[in-house]
Amino acid sequence: MKRRTLLAGAAALPLFNIIDSERAHADTKPIKIGLLEDISGDLAVFGIPKLHGSQLAVEEINGKGGILGRQIELMQLDPQGDNARYQEFARRMLQKEKVDLLIGGITSASREAIRPIVDRTNTLYIYTNQYEGGVCDASMISVGAVPEQQLSTLIPWMVEKFGKRVYTVAADYNFGHLSAEWGRTLLKPLGGQVVGEEFIPLGVSQFAQTIQNIQKAKPDWLYMLNVGAAQNSFFPQASAAHLDIPMGSPIKIMLGFEHKQFPAPVMANMYAAANWFEELDTPAAEDFKKRWRAKFPKETYINDMGYNAYVALYMYKMLAERAKSLNKDDIRKVIAKGDAGIDAPEGHIVIDPKSQHTSHHMRLLSVDKENKVHIVKDFGVIQPYWLGQVGCDLTKSNPKEQYTPDHLPPKR
Amino acid sequence: MVADLFSDFYQFADVFAFLILSAAGLAIIFGMMGVINLAHGEFIMCGVYVTSAAYHAGLPLPLAQACGAVVAGLIGMLLEVTIIRPLYSRPLDSLLVTWGISLVATQGTLIALGSTFPGIDTPGHSFSVGEYSFSSYRMVLFAASLCVLGFVYVLFMRTRFGVHARATMQNPGMAQALGVRKGIIYAVSFGIGTGLAGLCGALYAPTMNLIPTMGASFLVEAFVTVVVGGANVLLGTGPAAIALGVIRAGLNAWYGQVVGEIGLLIAVVLIIRVLPDGFSGWLTRRTS
Amino acid sequence: MTNLLNGPQTLGRGRAFWSAAAAVLVVALVYPLFVDSYDVGSTAYFLCWVFMALGLCLMWGYNGMMSFGQTFFFGVGGYAYGVIEINLGVANGGAMASLVAALAVTAVAAALLGYFMIYGRIGGMFFGIVTFAVTLALAFFLNQTAGPEWHIGTARLNGFNGMQGMDPLALPWFGGDIDLEGTAFYYFVLVLLIVVYLLLRLLVNSRFGNVLVAIREDPLRAELLGYDVRRYSLVTFVIGSVLGGLSGALYCSWGQFISPSSVGLPAAAMPVVWVAFSGRSDVTATLIGTLLLIAGFQALTIYSEQWALILMGVLLAGTVLIAPDGLIVSLANVVARRRARGGAALKPSLQER
Repeated sequence: MKRRTLLAGAAALPLFNIIDSERAHADTKPIKIGLLEDISGDLAVFGIPKLHGSQLAVEEINGKGGILGRQIELMQLDPQGDNARYQEFARRMLQKEKVDLLIGGITSASREAIRPIVDRTNTLYIYTNQYEGGVCDASMISVGAVPEQQLSTLIPWMVEKFGKRVYTVAADYNFGHLSAEWGRTLLKPLGGQVVGEEFIPLGVSQFAQTIQNIQKAKPDWLYMLNVGAAQNSFFPQASAAHLDIPMGSPIKIMLGFEHKQFPAPVMANMYAAANWFEELDTPAAEDFKKRWRAKFPKETYINDMGYNAYVALYMYKMLAERAKSLNKDDIRKVIAKGDAGIDAPEGHIVIDPKSQHTSHHMRLLSVDKENKVHIVKDFGVIQPYWLGQVGCDLTKSNPKEQYTPDHLPPKR
Repeated sequence: MVADLFSDFYQFADVFAFLILSAAGLAIIFGMMGVINLAHGEFIMCGVYVTSAAYHAGLPLPLAQACGAVVAGLIGMLLEVTIIRPLYSRPLDSLLVTWGISLVATQGTLIALGSTFPGIDTPGHSFSVGEYSFSSYRMVLFAASLCVLGFVYVLFMRTRFGVHARATMQNPGMAQALGVRKGIIYAVSFGIGTGLAGLCGALYAPTMNLIPTMGASFLVEAFVTVVVGGANVLLGTGPAAIALGVIRAGLNAWYGQVVGEIGLLIAVVLIIRVLPDGFSGWLTRRTS
Repeated sequence: MTNLLNGPQTLGRGRAFWSAAAAVLVVALVYPLFVDSYDVGSTAYFLCWVFMALGLCLMWGYNGMMSFGQTFFFGVGGYAYGVIEINLGVANGGAMASLVAALAVTAVAAALLGYFMIYGRIGGMFFGIVTFAVTLALAFFLNQTAGPEWHIGTARLNGFNGMQGMDPLALPWFGGDIDLEGTAFYYFVLVLLIVVYLLLRLLVNSRFGNVLVAIREDPLRAELLGYDVRRYSLVTFVIGSVLGGLSGALYCSWGQFISPSSVGLPAAAMPVVWVAFSGRSDVTATLIGTLLLIAGFQALTIYSEQWALILMGVLLAGTVLIAPDGLIVSLANVVARRRARGGAALKPSLQER
């Protein structure tokens, strides 16, 4: 501001000089990145690691000279898990602070609440959670894992290892219903059978009836899609009743770090497919964990949400530097080339141009009776193929929709 | 057959225990003293956290649970003396103040202790009936809920303190004129209420995921049970929990948890419509 | 007319009050000229919630019905606006028609629920718990409508993730609709608020309002005097609830999104908190207090990060302990006492009851 008045005062300067120095000014002023994460309330358990991941990445990137030579200024607001506040804060970030990039949102509801607001601007938005998949929106990049990456790996393995009779315990909302449907779809060609399916309202914490229904149905394994702290109470209650049935899940351990919260052997026999979990021990992962622990020594667990939040900023750095611009259209041209990727702690991951979702290196983990995590299988890199398969192609059109198996893009 | 019958009983006992233990403290604080305590869940959370901390510090679980109840009770007494006392004649203000306390308690816990807290092993073994295996600890909870009901009844109906407390709450001026020390009665009653909330948390600590906002999952059931019980909580809370327990467990078993949850709320509406004074009013009318 | 506006059931009378009100109005009207579009949108967003608070103030403060169901009607109004608008489309006054239809749907819902409760002689705390229970039940129900089978016409309810795809309100005008967004939406909500506020003042100072207060003070006596207490209460409940629905529909138009979390906890407790904080016995107090509280919470959340909820809790508890009749009513009474040099308060305290 001070600089502006100075320039305006120097009226004698030739015009092109003013423009030049304005541009130089723009080139050195910080890049504003807006972050919306819930660090209060029910979702704080996820929001705090996400905030930490973003802070660590920003500190590292700034330490190494920033993006395109510009420092990052991270602005964080806490919507406290309230969707209305998400909308209001997204507007604040986009219209008042005029951020160059918006990151954040935990639940799918919060993402859907702010997507229409983002879509009215020319700002890019990165969603950093694993989720039920299906968002086909040119303004959004998703860096978390989606069902085809987690479930098309996990479910066949579980069927082969434990058997074909499956019981689904799912949270009664979009994520639970969609993931349950993914399970049914994947089980069919394998000859699998859903012997029981139960949907639990969010916030329910008592599971005696569910445990008994499971015992009655005698499944070979449980497909666990319960969500949130209250519903996690299923695990100690099932363990106390000696349910002792193997469990597979796309969200447990790497996301909710239940094995760090419950005493052993509550989480024994849990299997999950993940792109990141803290027990991953490749050299790149070890290095990343060391840096994280140095900055946040009290972190209970570096979960995949925090990791994704960290990766998102490096992804943006790569995109901006290849595009030599922060402009959304320029960045999307880079994505369209199909090789826009980075070497993340999990391995090399790339943004898929059709869906703007990210490929991931998937591994299967298991929990033993001491709550220790083991890597059981390495699936290699899995593409986020589903959206492209059903007809979402953001290089050609931008429907701004969330598709589901029962709500597919119109056939051309 | 036997297995299925037992399992039906087990499911009912489980819901009943949850309703009674959640509601017992609130029955005193809201039902008798008239304070709309929205921080009830946070006293439960307090019981959970103290129990877990004491347990991990090396105390045996029953002792740790006692600590949970006692600490919640003491904090309750302290709050009664400092903040709640001016609010007895202003129930709606008590709603705001306790809501404020609950915000401070959950967020303060989050800032001080982090977003998660280490859990506790569920004690006891499992037992089998027919093809089902059950957690024996759930039976402990059921037994505890019966003890709590008995304790509250005896305390308020059969002891000198109880008579004084009920007299004070019905007519503070008269009780005081008769030499009852009103301040102490109120503080102790409030402390017993929050202590019972703490006990609820202490008992459920080994079966749950421990986070600062966990108290919220008890709040709705607690209020609903107390209100359906009616004005005389000593008489009404037990029958209310039986009725709601049968409804909830039945709907859970036949139609799943979603219908169970919505059905419980609808049942509350219908019960209130049919029994405008709650269960206690209905019972008093039948017996008199 | 002026007599009714200045009647005994409302705070703020005489020239000083109305001059101040006019000044505030002028500021509110020219305000968008001086700030950026974000601030205007933000203020409009705050204003949206006030209708719900005014409705509760009418039911609770003037008639003694403590409804925990304002977010039930917020949800009904919001979802109804979304569903109808998606099916009608924005053109040819479709959006405005949707707003009116949404309010009609809310009124029917309120009449049914109100009839059930008021004619079932449900009162006092039971009233609060029943409205609370149906509100939570609606939230649970909406949460599980994720599947494609839950649709009305072309509008999918979409469960927990929330419904979207509706257009903002548009005002049918000669030569093309005016989209009510940004500043236009602000003016629309502002005018609506002024109209609703003045109508409420007229209502509570009318004969109708006097009866409401009589019912609040002693329902039995009011009935013995020959008033049909239940009919008065039902009408009040419908008016108050429709205002909740209006908030919902406006919110849905503002953000083109609504989800079940706007209905369930903790959202359901918010209107009660706003009204009790402001002073439930007066519409002006509710109007000012609600706006202050919403804007204040928002500012706290922005500037104090993790400490925001703690500060809110302390602020709330502290205010209640210091100002038993609600902040604004207590302040008004203090001012009145000063001016009358020890005279009686303007508003009798509701606390003795």
